[in-house]
Amino acid sequence: MKRVVSVSLGSSRRDHKVEVELLGEKFEIARKGTDGDFDRALELLKELDGKVDAIGLGGIDVYLFVRQKRYAIRDGLKLMEAVKVTPVVDGSGLKNTLEREVVRFLAGETGLIKKGTRVLMVSSVDRFGMAEALCEAGCDVTFGDLIFAAGIPYPIKTMDELEDIANKTLPEMVKMPFHMIYPTGKKQESQDEAKVQKFARYYHDAEVIAGDFHLIRRFMPSGLKGQVILTNTTTGEDVGFLREKGAGTLVTTTPEYGGRSFGTNVMEAVLVAILGKPWSEITAEDYLDMLKKLDFRPRILKL
Amino acid sequence: MATHEEIAGSLQAFADSYNKNERLKIMNRDWDRVVQIKATDVESVHTLILKDGVLSLVEGAAGSPDLTVISDSETLADIFYGDITPTEPYNNGTLRIMGSEDDIIRLDFISLMIWGE
Repeated sequence: MKRVVSVSLGSSRRDHKVEVELLGEKFEIARKGTDGDFDRALELLKELDGKVDAIGLGGIDVYLFVRQKRYAIRDGLKLMEAVKVTPVVDGSGLKNTLEREVVRFLAGETGLIKKGTRVLMVSSVDRFGMAEALCEAGCDVTFGDLIFAAGIPYPIKTMDELEDIANKTLPEMVKMPFHMIYPTGKKQESQDEAKVQKFARYYHDAEVIAGDFHLIRRFMPSGLKGQVILTNTTTGEDVGFLREKGAGTLVTTTPEYGGRSFGTNVMEAVLVAILGKPWSEITAEDYLDMLKKLDFRPRILKL
Repeated sequence: MATHEEIAGSLQAFADSYNKNERLKIMNRDWDRVVQIKATDVESVHTLILKDGVLSLVEGAAGSPDLTVISDSETLADIFYGDITPTEPYNNGTLRIMGSEDDIIRLDFISLMIWGE
């Protein structure tokens, strides 16, 4: 049996372990949260190195892609570099391919995404592929990066402006301590009440709310009117939270195993274990080919 | 070591660049803040006042600050002239910023939008 472990800076309350069979091979997939403790994550990574088939880094991004440019988050790199033997991934490679495909699937097969659909992406620099695919599908997208990350009530409305602002700010933002730019540990279990109130209108005005689940959750107001939530990792508890807020449909880009969807970092680690190639040699085509073989489809859940 | 006048010059350059940037003025219409800038190695205090999206510079202390920026004179002049970004000195402790974390991120963001390439 192959073992894949996701080490996350997120809450240990979301820990989970399942056994699945993929392409005739058995996998044990586990997620271990470190409650925002960076040093504990480092220790755990060193402990797992050489003992498992692939490692995913969760609760933190390492690479952010803005078209052809790639920015590396300093804290994420430190974690990645602690692993010397086992392949380690942050999910960014898969995000850039899988999430584009998911948007195309939703537009082509479900009617959940149409030309003119009002989409709020709470953060887009961490999933540029999804952002591009939503624009290609003709959606009216509001990129909320400045609103939710910097508290600036300035909705970005075009890919060109998103790219311009990202290229001005990301080279330095990636050097900041990660907890300043993304909720880690206990922050993932609470909401930022001031921003929830201040920026509720962006959620209420949207038909689809897309992006990282921790960010979506942190700023989500009550009184939604059946919006579609397009995101990655959710637990049963998260589904209850979304129902309570009034969301109508949950779409997770990764499939469900054992009652929950795993993060893209976990799924990318699984694919790397199957492919058996060094991560640096894996191409987007390899991922797409593997996704087809595995018949990966998004999970669509009526709330 | 930079002089008080050099720090004043850098802050004026920062304020001028900010005020020329219409997008930044729109972004910060909701964010009225008083930012005090103090040097540790020379007698030098300035106040940047952001009101209705427009930034002005005042010599000395003015009003009660929401944010206080403290560093040596050379680092302050370098940051506000855009020769260096605030991230590195902030991370290594050369630059201290007192205020709420949200305000600190927003101030950092403004400086990146002014000088970012």
